[in-house]
Amino acid sequence: MNISVPVSWLREYVKTDITAKTLANALSLSGPSVEKIEKRGNELIFELEVTTNRTDAYSIFGIARESNAILNAQSLKSSLVKPGGLNLNLDPDKSKPLLLDIVIKDKNLCPRFTAIIVDNIKIQPSPAYIRNRLSASGIRAINNIVDISNYIMLELGQPMHTFDFDKIKGAKMTLRKSQKGESIKTLDGNIHKLPEGSIVIEDSERLIDLCGIMGGLNSTVSRRTKRVLLFTQAYNAQAIRKTTQALAFRTEAASRFEKGIDLEGVLPALSRAVYLAKQTAGAQIASELIDIYPDKQKSKTFRLNFNKLNNYLGINLEQSKSVQILKSLGFQTKQNPNQIVVTVPSWRTQDIESDVDLIEEIARIYGYHNLPSKLPTGETPNLQESELKNVITLKNALKYLGLTEVITYSIISKKSLRISGRSAKNTVELSNPLTEEWQYMRPTIIPSLLDTIVKNQYIKDDINIFEVAKTYLSKKADLPTQDLILSICLTDSDFYQIKGLSENIANILHRQFKFEKLTRNHPLFDHSQSAVIKIDDEQVGIVGSIKSNIIDAFRIKSEVVAAEINLTKIDKFPSILNNFKPIAKYPPVVEDLSIIIAKVLPIEDLIQQIKSTASTLLKEVNILDVFENPNLGENKKSVTLRLIFQKTSGTPTSDEANEVKEKIISHLEKTFRAKVRK
Amino acid sequence: MEKRIRKILNEAAKEFESAGDESEIDQLYVKYFGKKSPLNKLTKKISTLDPALKPKAGQNINKAKSTLEKLFDRAKRNVKTKKASATKYIDVTAPGKKITIGHLHLVSQAIEEIVTIFSKLGYSLQSYPEIDWDWYAFESLNMPKDHPARDDWETFFVKAPPNPKLGNQVLTPHTSNGQVREMENVKKPPIRMINIARCYRRQIDISHTPMFHQFEGLLIDKNISIPNLKGTFDYFTTNFFGKNRVTRLRPHHFRFTEPSFEVDVTCDVCGGKSCRICKSGWLELGGAGMIHPKVLEAGKIDPKKYSGFAFGWGIERTISMKTKIPDIRLLYQNDIRFLEQFS
Repeated sequence: MNISVPVSWLREYVKTDITAKTLANALSLSGPSVEKIEKRGNELIFELEVTTNRTDAYSIFGIARESNAILNAQSLKSSLVKPGGLNLNLDPDKSKPLLLDIVIKDKNLCPRFTAIIVDNIKIQPSPAYIRNRLSASGIRAINNIVDISNYIMLELGQPMHTFDFDKIKGAKMTLRKSQKGESIKTLDGNIHKLPEGSIVIEDSERLIDLCGIMGGLNSTVSRRTKRVLLFTQAYNAQAIRKTTQALAFRTEAASRFEKGIDLEGVLPALSRAVYLAKQTAGAQIASELIDIYPDKQKSKTFRLNFNKLNNYLGINLEQSKSVQILKSLGFQTKQNPNQIVVTVPSWRTQDIESDVDLIEEIARIYGYHNLPSKLPTGETPNLQESELKNVITLKNALKYLGLTEVITYSIISKKSLRISGRSAKNTVELSNPLTEEWQYMRPTIIPSLLDTIVKNQYIKDDINIFEVAKTYLSKKADLPTQDLILSICLTDSDFYQIKGLSENIANILHRQFKFEKLTRNHPLFDHSQSAVIKIDDEQVGIVGSIKSNIIDAFRIKSEVVAAEINLTKIDKFPSILNNFKPIAKYPPVVEDLSIIIAKVLPIEDLIQQIKSTASTLLKEVNILDVFENPNLGENKKSVTLRLIFQKTSGTPTSDEANEVKEKIISHLEKTFRAKVRK
Repeated sequence: MEKRIRKILNEAAKEFESAGDESEIDQLYVKYFGKKSPLNKLTKKISTLDPALKPKAGQNINKAKSTLEKLFDRAKRNVKTKKASATKYIDVTAPGKKITIGHLHLVSQAIEEIVTIFSKLGYSLQSYPEIDWDWYAFESLNMPKDHPARDDWETFFVKAPPNPKLGNQVLTPHTSNGQVREMENVKKPPIRMINIARCYRRQIDISHTPMFHQFEGLLIDKNISIPNLKGTFDYFTTNFFGKNRVTRLRPHHFRFTEPSFEVDVTCDVCGGKSCRICKSGWLELGGAGMIHPKVLEAGKIDPKKYSGFAFGWGIERTISMKTKIPDIRLLYQNDIRFLEQFS
């Protein structure tokens, strides 16, 4: 809640010599913070932010009380002066008091109702100081009576209203809930169709007040008004909030009522209004005081233990200092050994809920800036880090592999969802989206990366990007699955490049990936150009080319290869630590072998077969080259293998190596009808 | 004999030194290592020596041979570098040949820095749900049913039937849902946890995006005080922003901490003068406070035995404080020209 405070007004209640700037700093450090100091005309204004729990400080006098307590605690000279007329004798000035009949249908709607009639009113402009202060606070001055209600609201935080008494038909007021279909024309000339349950007042004929929000136009004070009903209440906060929400109509008064009002402050505000009406309009009290207050606000007390206080503060604060701070804020204290019993002032009953709240009061007024700064000691817990810790390393590695990280929104549109081939039914959907652009929680990151490629494809040719984020898969009667996913998209690359990158990632994560053909159709990945990634028998990812119809739908000009890898799943597999193997003492014999085999024969199968036939002499089989060429024959490919022969007792002789090589050749010829290229 | 060896070595050193090209070096090789080399001649003479002197002489000759080898290697190297520097002109100001390196997103860079700083203080990085139950996001954090944050114009809700005990599913508007989850997980303090996640709120403007990253720290132990919180922030700010940036604690109000603070850092966009991004020269870094006893109770930790503090803030905010990015929305437009500005 923000409030504008004219400094001269504030100084009427806080008597101090310190400068506005010093005061603003002191307030920010210990109380409501001053966000801006502005000059409007001759007036200096503090723009203050008051936290929502501190309704008592949402007024000039409330800020004055805070200021005074803060200055006192900092040993700066200051004293608090209360506004005049808070406790007037409200007996009628006339022998024949006027009567007003009040009916309150439901006491929960209005915990306190006060009103008084004044007459002999001369409507005229308010004195200059009132007009100036109102306009400095952003409120237009109207006349001396209407201005009183606004002035008191700003000054004390208690909204009030003024009726032309002679416009209240039948001198009767009934306070009740609105019924369906009712409407009222408020002061500003607007007609509001009321929802059920708004608090309204009706005279003997019609609605005259939309309580707590704005008065009715039909009963307003005008230039010809002679008799005025000064009117101060507390209303049910929830009822006010519901109406302001339903009507989308929030006034200064409503924003105060909907946060709750100090019931003990209602009558002093009315008294102050009478005081100002007498001063500025020549008013005389023309009725008995009406004060309907069935359930008196209970006062709260808490015990505050000094040891506990000092544990929070980390210092030993003198007990007298704590007591002085609490007193300056209006708390009453009774001292026992090592603890005090604290009675909360009426205006703080809403926000003070326990002894810890009292500790906060003492700590902030004493000044957080006056407390020392000490890192916690004590043992540090020994806990396993989550999968996120490795993600930092992984992201850095990807960066050094030439990829650029993007971060895209996890909330996507229905259109984007459709493109990723998911049904809306099984996707996490928001019940209150901000716009259609952000309606579903994405089950895959790839469409967002494709979007990023589209945005950048005319800026750069080769776009190599990745993102790490949680994705969301809906689950029945439970929270969605929220696994951490790494997605990569590369333009200008082929399957083997993205597969190689995936293998790099396996190395970085110290895991062993297996690649297998897709067994099921995937909505994004081209069936014949992709592979699933497995660890043991669990699928942990997918890698390959994005389907061309999807590339077209996105209007991407090049092909895109991609990988989507589930880091949460991978984290559950133990990482592989390689054991030391002694470095061979004798150099190996290296033999290259080129063969022609069927195009569809997986290289993995070829290597498996070679390894199964060869003796222990064969240490390694590497693939040097794979190519297809019409000269090789239809549906054939050429594979060049490098065979590495090695033993521990010495370098193998060429005879030994040749023997094994021949065995391999004859086995490949038999098994795969392989032909050796000479 | 020793005299002869020394003489041979001295001569060889001179000759190798003055050798101008590889062919000269090769000739010298033949001269000193060939069959008719002076050392070989000496070797043949060993047999004529007194048997008592033979072993010593052998050793000396071997030593001399290895010295000669070193001389030869050095001479050969010298000739090669001489040749290279003579034929290849190097422009030291021309660009080198680089391997392409990509770029990390600013958010990740900030996360890495933050994690590194808090790791040193013994905090561990945990991962908690980004879609969570109302209980963890609000109710257990002492936020009453009518709290504005629980209104559906501030927080995103998921279309799903509520859990009878834990309530609705929400997109977490803060990382504080990790607090009670961490307490349940660890059970017995000490706790030092950081939780970094994507968070969601229904707002978008110059300093807000509907999705943002929040960072949350939680420390619970015996006798934890406000000065401990201050110390932690001072440590963080000096390490993250640098020694010239100052922090302050301001009183604030959060339901799940008491006392509550707003932590400010001097604004770097305007240098503390006041601008459209900051408030009177101060930027809100984030919220903090001493954990409310009710929150500890919700996490089944005895508030009479333990106390602690929690803090959290938007990663994006810290980035705009550090890099002078004028509009936070730039971070998620993913323009490659923006992304490539940051390594």
